[in-house]
Amino acid sequence: MRPVAPRYRKAFRDLTSHWFRTMLVVLSIAIGIFAVGVMLGGREILMREFHADHSSSVPPSVTYRTADFESETVEQAAGQPGIEAAQARRSASLRYALNGTDEERSITLEAFDDFRALDVGKVVPLDGAPWPPSDGEIVLEASAKIVDGYSVGDVLEIETAEGEVVEFELVGFAHDINAMPAKFVGHETGYVTLDSMEDLGESRAFNQLSLTFDGEDLTWSEASRRAVDIRERLFEDEDIVVFYTDVPEPGSHFLGDIFDALSLLLLALGGLALGLSAFLVVNTVSALMAQQVRQVGIMKAVGGSAGQLERLYAVIVTMYGLIACAVGLPLTAAGTQWFTDYAAGMLNFRVTSYAPPVWVVLVEVAVGMLVPLLAASGPVRRGVRMSVVRALNGTGINTARFGHGLVDRVLGMIRGLPRPVALSLRNTFLRKGRLALTLSTLVLASAVVMAVWSVRASIEQTIDDLETWWGFDLQLTLAMPQPAAEVISEVEGVAGVTAAEAWSVFPAALVRDDGSENESFTIVGLDPETDFVRPHVVEGRWIEQGDTDAVVINTDAQNAESTLGVGDVLTLGVTGAEDEWRVVGVTKGQLGGPALYCNEEQLTEVTGGLGVTRVLVRGGRADADDRGDLLASVEDALNDAGYQVTSATTRVELADQLREWLGILVAFLVLMATLLAAVGVIGLTGTMSINVLESTREIGVMRATGAQHKAIYQIYVTEGVTVGVIAWFLGALLTYPISYGLVLGLETAIGIPLTYTFSWWGLAGWLALMLLISAFASIAPAFRASQVSVRDAISYE
Amino acid sequence: MAATPSDTPLVKLRELVKVYDTGEVPFTALKGIDLDVYSGEFVGLIGKSGSGKTTLINMITGIDHPTSGEVMIGDTPVHRLGENALAKWRGRNIGVVFQFFQLLPTLTILENVLLPMDFCSTYPLRERVPRAMDLLEQVELADQAHKLPAALSGGQQQRAAIARALANDPPILAADEPTGNLDSKTAEAVFGLFERLVEQHKTIIMVTHDNDLASRVRRALHVADGEIVEERIHRERHTG
Repeated sequence: MRPVAPRYRKAFRDLTSHWFRTMLVVLSIAIGIFAVGVMLGGREILMREFHADHSSSVPPSVTYRTADFESETVEQAAGQPGIEAAQARRSASLRYALNGTDEERSITLEAFDDFRALDVGKVVPLDGAPWPPSDGEIVLEASAKIVDGYSVGDVLEIETAEGEVVEFELVGFAHDINAMPAKFVGHETGYVTLDSMEDLGESRAFNQLSLTFDGEDLTWSEASRRAVDIRERLFEDEDIVVFYTDVPEPGSHFLGDIFDALSLLLLALGGLALGLSAFLVVNTVSALMAQQVRQVGIMKAVGGSAGQLERLYAVIVTMYGLIACAVGLPLTAAGTQWFTDYAAGMLNFRVTSYAPPVWVVLVEVAVGMLVPLLAASGPVRRGVRMSVVRALNGTGINTARFGHGLVDRVLGMIRGLPRPVALSLRNTFLRKGRLALTLSTLVLASAVVMAVWSVRASIEQTIDDLETWWGFDLQLTLAMPQPAAEVISEVEGVAGVTAAEAWSVFPAALVRDDGSENESFTIVGLDPETDFVRPHVVEGRWIEQGDTDAVVINTDAQNAESTLGVGDVLTLGVTGAEDEWRVVGVTKGQLGGPALYCNEEQLTEVTGGLGVTRVLVRGGRADADDRGDLLASVEDALNDAGYQVTSATTRVELADQLREWLGILVAFLVLMATLLAAVGVIGLTGTMSINVLESTREIGVMRATGAQHKAIYQIYVTEGVTVGVIAWFLGALLTYPISYGLVLGLETAIGIPLTYTFSWWGLAGWLALMLLISAFASIAPAFRASQVSVRDAISYE
Repeated sequence: MAATPSDTPLVKLRELVKVYDTGEVPFTALKGIDLDVYSGEFVGLIGKSGSGKTTLINMITGIDHPTSGEVMIGDTPVHRLGENALAKWRGRNIGVVFQFFQLLPTLTILENVLLPMDFCSTYPLRERVPRAMDLLEQVELADQAHKLPAALSGGQQQRAAIARALANDPPILAADEPTGNLDSKTAEAVFGLFERLVEQHKTIIMVTHDNDLASRVRRALHVADGEIVEERIHRERHTG
């Protein structure tokens, strides 16, 4: 067997004999692979799996919530032209308590005639859950697990409309991507049989029909038009009341906005991570090559040609890359899987494959192999082409000349600093090329981390702004419209209630010019001078006393119908009647969907005095627990008076739901920022370690001339901290444009005007972290260097 | 028996000038040097620190480039060669010995000696290890062949560096202060090695500031302020 040539043995031994340096280089490259892989791979897997899960569920083109109907209507619907599939279900919103506790929560129960043959909006039982459950058993939608840690065997005491309690045993979980995740809406979804529905005093008849339309490239407008057409033929002609028609944008999901925002964030931060990783790898490999210049000189002195040396260093760098890939790729796969599971759990979808697309793996390999080779090519080329004498004298790539530039002269003029501090400052600027590379990595990482902090602050501020909308403590929804005065009278009689108000809230259909309808709106009739809400008018004005046809739309409505604006005249269908309304203003939405606000008197007139469905309550005490007690008292009072309550929440819970919703973005932002910060930290640690390693001879000289450990530490920690502070300062200058750009992108993606807030805390926090990190990054290598004997330090290669 | 130098110069320097750009005032290290060195000669370049003797030997080895003038080694115009061509030429024609040995720290002594043969492909693969071992035998280091440089003393490292310099059997050996970093006993051993190499018809050019050693070379050139100011020929060489 042909023996390995000595030069390639050198390549291998360079790796093994300088294990600390090898570890640093490998770690730097591997963290680059990890950051890029997790962000880009995570994004691709999230989008692919979410869309695959959503498509496989056969999402409905339209869902009608109606009065009771029988299976003949379903058969009739399935036979209509243009209908691919039809699925009916019985749905009921009730309240329940878990395992005998006092706390009541809302639940939406759903029942099908054949659980095993769902054609639209498929629900998948998980982990062998009995499907269908037996009578007296319930299967919960899996997102409930995240809320309260439900487990099989729990007992749900469900209260019927008549006030009786029926116990259900939790026997398993099922996945329904079309169900609102429990943590976002504050109520669970459960599946029971039609027999169980009867036990709960509900009818066996269906009250919800979901249909899918045929035809590819179905537009929203066409879907809406078909929905209206079918509603008329199927229900209205049969005198079946349709309460609500939901026509989602074809192919879209209610979490689509969040996904768009996440996708944008991951793409933007993935791009930044790619740049950061490239800088980190270039920095590390350049530092490595600078250390090799003298050896290049020796090899040239004994006959090594440029081509031979270039190949030799390509082999060395390739070995670093291979080890980094061997370390980084499995870590990236594990990290991506964790990230995808975290996102899937949060956003309630199933992941069937964690395999990233081939192009993402190629990018990871490129970061691991190609970037280091490209990074090394410049220094290697310069190294092998310089004269041997320059290489041997150490005046080659690693030109460490101080005193010639403006910065050097300025630093030289600073007087009165302790000598170690002065030395540290001058050392910092000794290798200006290296400093520039180190700073590039750190400045970018710092800017992104601080920008993410500002984006987070903007989201938090937006939540705070939205919270101020609610001027009430409790909000309850009634199953049926009721007379306002009677409801208010009942509520005001509850101890602890200081004020109460009741609103008329009805589904509304926006009739477009082409005759199609958007039925996702809600119209709210309220006293224009109410102090139960504090509207944030972003355009036009709020409703006023005396307004007859005025409506104020929210920004969610503008997102649902992008052409809507102040001055428009709308045709709205409310409880069967169509009227024209004039848009007088736009208010900020609360993520509660498209809403229209009008004068209560006007809405009463339109609906023929149907009554109120929403009750708002203010209490005298500020404590959140008391609000819970008060909520229970009000709910009991309304139930006792014969008003069925379908949902009851405190303002704190509403705010929490909002926080959960936008909190997804915050959580991901923090996760991404942590990852980017880790890249920056490892980059700084690596660079400082290599800087200190390069200075091993100087450390030897200093120690030989009497420098004690403390002085060595002081010099290198000051140098590291100086680099950290410069990076922080330059990064801070970039923070505003980056964060502003990210906030603008997010606004577009989630369709909510965000309150841009620059986070000074972010700046201060990152400065504190940078001080710690840079000090830490310098202490470890300085400690290593201080342990080397003077003789070894001076002879360090 | 001492070798007799030939009549044709092996090294021919003409009007050699080297100017260093040190920033504000250029420094002229060599001021138009003319020199002939014949095959089989043992030449010593002596002078004080900063006199230009290292610069001069670097011009001969091609380790540094002249600002003007000619460096002819045999028929090769070294001053015209690029870095890459110089490396190949040097590997085959000149063995370089440095004051600080400059062995590659991660290669064993044997591997360091094999390295020039590897780079220049001068011997068939199967002959390289026996040849390297033979050279190490000559410098009395065969038993240390598989050790790393750090495990050897300064004198041993310098002898290993000499073995490496001889790997491709170059006609010329250029040594810059080869004993400068050694104690007197070890320096004497290294010098004795050079004398034996001259007996084997090698041409040796050695920089030294040790007047005692300078007095023992056949031809001593005194360098001062970038010029050869004195030349002494010693007809009888000491052998130890």
